[in-house]
Amino acid sequence: MISFQQVNKHYGSFHVLKDIDLDIAEGEVVVIIGPSGSGKSTLLRCINRLEEISAGNLMVDGQAVHNKTTDINALRRGIGMVFQHFNLYPHLKVIDNITLAPVQAGGISKEEAQKTAMLYLEKVGIPEKAQSYPSELSGGQQQRVAIARGLAMKPKIMLFDEPTSALDPEVIGEVLSVMKLLAQEGMTMAVVTHEMGFAREVADRVVFMDEGRIVEQAAPADFFARPESPRAQDFLSRVINH
Amino acid sequence: MDFSFVGAYWGDFTEGFKNTIYASLLALAGSFILGILLAVFRISPWKVLRILGTAYVEFFRNIPLLLVVYVFYLGLPSMGVDLDGFTSGTLGLMVYTSAFIAEAIRAGIQSVPTGQMEAARSSGLSYVQAMRFVVLPQAVRIVIPPISNQFLNLVKNSSILGVVAGFDLMYFADNVNSYSFQTIETYMIAAGFYLILTIPLAYATNVLERRLARTN
Repeated sequence: MISFQQVNKHYGSFHVLKDIDLDIAEGEVVVIIGPSGSGKSTLLRCINRLEEISAGNLMVDGQAVHNKTTDINALRRGIGMVFQHFNLYPHLKVIDNITLAPVQAGGISKEEAQKTAMLYLEKVGIPEKAQSYPSELSGGQQQRVAIARGLAMKPKIMLFDEPTSALDPEVIGEVLSVMKLLAQEGMTMAVVTHEMGFAREVADRVVFMDEGRIVEQAAPADFFARPESPRAQDFLSRVINH
Repeated sequence: MDFSFVGAYWGDFTEGFKNTIYASLLALAGSFILGILLAVFRISPWKVLRILGTAYVEFFRNIPLLLVVYVFYLGLPSMGVDLDGFTSGTLGLMVYTSAFIAEAIRAGIQSVPTGQMEAARSSGLSYVQAMRFVVLPQAVRIVIPPISNQFLNLVKNSSILGVVAGFDLMYFADNVNSYSFQTIETYMIAAGFYLILTIPLAYATNVLERRLARTN
């Protein structure tokens, strides 16, 4: 479904992504972890071309993402994205946040889009907030709306860029459980997170990055029990033993 | 103070007031449209447009309004374009104010967090759709106070027409003064007419601002 082949990216003289090779299969849940500045978010943002790659090849759903002839808007409709800071549209009600893209970019009628939106709001557990504005919601509720918005185009892939990092600890669980539900339903997911419990429990595979490279990748049981690289051992000892 | 002379010149004041309103409305509409266009140039992905927009804005907001109006009124005739005082004054006002309006709009658009554009684009909306449905509606709220400030300035700056025989309020006030010699009284009446325009404008801005703040 997603395939990085020798992908490199530079910001000026800064080499952010180094020789990335990564394949994510349909229905797979891949969690990307690593210290900050290791290139995790950049890697994720390349998948829907929020970032351009400098070299290499990146295929998503059979299309070369960085080919200029690829219809990027069409490709993006098949990829939902959830951001650290939610990025809900503050001037629109929850329901309109969710239906904007399906109606304007997806060519779906407003009634149809609203019906679908309500379905997803029920799925994330807050159908009663449809007519609220984002500023009236808690952080956890806002992020759940953002997930519903990402799902509204019925995407094949969902990207999560540190979805719980800006949340109060007591509401992290409600967001993670929605993500877990999606994973169980077979959604293809790429998740950048610091939630090791989620990685351990939900991921099919953990990818560990450091200094722009994929240092190690393995099934979570193996990765957390026996990290191979010294860098991953060091990272895990810091995030888990305290 | 002796206002007994006013009756004899009342027609001059109202004629000037009328022309000040015309000039202000024309320049206001023109500078708003031109300002939006220039702001779009300044944030455009194309470098040539950015340079053009920036050059225009930096040139016109850093020279005196009087100079701009003089170029239209005194300069263009030497190139065979003869404009009357009202037209050159109004055009000068429009060209000058549009630079400030462009700046206010650009700042407003750029103050909308980049995450908004990213969220919209990542959902499959085109750049134009993302601007139209997500960025601009948020920018409007931010832009209203500085823009209405520019509109207020524009109404007051329209007095520049008085210098180039534009038959506005200031022009007629000068006339009345030279006939009546009631200088203070004459200009106080002119000030009153300006306030009739500017105070409701400032008040309407406040109301609009509060209403937008509530729905946000």
